Amino acid sequence: MRNPVLGYLLLAPTVILLGVLVGWPLIEAVVLSFNQFHPLTRQPNFVGLRNYAEILTEEEFWNAFKNNFIWLAGSLVLQISLGVALALMLNRSFPGRGLARTLILFPYLLPVVVAALIWQWMLDPLNGVINAGIEGFGLPAVDWLGEMPEAMIAVITVGSWRAFPFVVIAVLARLQSIPAELYEAAEVDGASAWGRFWDVTMPQLGNVLFVVVLLRAIWDFREFDLLFLMTGGGPLSGTTTLPLLVYKEAFEVFQTGRAQAIAVVMLLVMAVLIAFYFALSRRGGTIDEA
Amino acid sequence: MRRGNFLTRLIWGLFVWSVVGTLGFPLFWMLSTAFKPPTEIFVSPPTLIPVSPTLDNFVRVLNETRFVTYFWNSLVVATATTALTITVSTLGAHAMVSFRIRGREMVGKVILLAYLLPSTAILIPIYLIIARLGLTNTRFGLVVAYTSLFLPFALWLMRAFMSGIPREIEAAAVIDGASRMRAFIDVVLPQAVPGIITTGVFSFILCWNEYLYALVMINNDDIRTLPTGVMGTLITGYSIEWGMVMAAAVMMSLPLLFVFLFLQRSLVAGFGAGAVKG
Repeated sequence: MRNPVLGYLLLAPTVILLGVLVGWPLIEAVVLSFNQFHPLTRQPNFVGLRNYAEILTEEEFWNAFKNNFIWLAGSLVLQISLGVALALMLNRSFPGRGLARTLILFPYLLPVVVAALIWQWMLDPLNGVINAGIEGFGLPAVDWLGEMPEAMIAVITVGSWRAFPFVVIAVLARLQSIPAELYEAAEVDGASAWGRFWDVTMPQLGNVLFVVVLLRAIWDFREFDLLFLMTGGGPLSGTTTLPLLVYKEAFEVFQTGRAQAIAVVMLLVMAVLIAFYFALSRRGGTIDEA
Repeated sequence: MRRGNFLTRLIWGLFVWSVVGTLGFPLFWMLSTAFKPPTEIFVSPPTLIPVSPTLDNFVRVLNETRFVTYFWNSLVVATATTALTITVSTLGAHAMVSFRIRGREMVGKVILLAYLLPSTAILIPIYLIIARLGLTNTRFGLVVAYTSLFLPFALWLMRAFMSGIPREIEAAAVIDGASRMRAFIDVVLPQAVPGIITTGVFSFILCWNEYLYALVMINNDDIRTLPTGVMGTLITGYSIEWGMVMAAAVMMSLPLLFVFLFLQRSLVAGFGAGAVKG
């Protein structure tokens, strides 16, 4: 259509804000990683690749790197299996299904601080309801957030509890668009319920699951709030992931340049996931020109 | 789908509800603890439903902490950010969808990239920018930071909604002699309202919940928002008053309850358009 001037005018605030608030900080992020930064004078001092050389030879970094992948893999497995199982359950009608669907959304939208507080209270070693339950079975109490690997198991559980509703919504939407004829045909052919699930449902879910796993991986890899609030990265550095290490370097020991170098490495790792998502969206064609 | 008899349906329903109930238990536990008096909180084994329910925890949070100040700050920051991101993203999305201007695909890609970017990567530069502008410890500074965080998401969502609006109507209005701006205001905008509400709801929730940037940018207690304020005042030292903490958690979640009661449809629409479509 005509009148492109108005178009540019309407787009201008978007371009300016994205440039100033995302583009510029991103460039500065990379520049800072080559500098040493004095916390008081805020004067950068160019040091070349020294920050990178330092962090890549320190065990602290590789520990966080490893933790990041343990956290990611654990969360993905748990939230995807939980989410798919629940989507399958909610796909069949039962009394109160509408209400159940609404309730399911709560953990996803709850403030992360609230989620962390509830679970800290439930996991409290002395008075927590979870240990009360465990002791009810005659088993010894567990110091959930103070020991390894218990702390990692706990944060993965809580993280998955927060994230699974997203999986439910995505999978449920897809399930409801599977034509009923496919199931009828399979039933006529004598397929069992299990056979119908593997031969009809799963292939149809393949695509949406791939997208969901990728998106969740991008979001969970960078998770800071939950881990920081639940364990502070502890015990020792047992649950310290890369985002937590960035925070500690920058705001606890004031090594801004090193913190930024870690952030850039994290960004490069994530770039692989993001590139995957881009490739996928181009092929699917649903993102550009939807 | 097969229709089972009444009994199998009942058993199935009970089974699914027990799973949903287990997943919802933490929420129930928050409510239950919030209404318990301090003595009952440490009873072993714990009581599921408060035996002697009380509002004391709520009263004490309101009277003994600065909860109201934090709540107000959260409200101001979330509302201002939402208003800003909605305005910019509605105009921007319209420009990208209905004008054939150069670089619009490029802008679309940049938006997706910005949306997927981890916030910790640009936390330090954003902090430095805010500090240089002298905006640390101001609500405005937080609004700037949150715009950086959530504008890409709002743009992404609005663009998905805008491309769902049939363009023929707008074209017809223009042919009938309306200017492009008039056509936008009179024809496109009314149709975009559901998308705007959804985007607004999600922006508001994201701002309301945000923790990391608030932690880094604000160390003046008058300006603190709920997440950092509640963590700072109620989680201290060795004796945590869990009744008060849970009461604060309940009150912090109230806007969410409002959304669930009145704007539920927008939530589902948002999941459909922004998050899953890709």
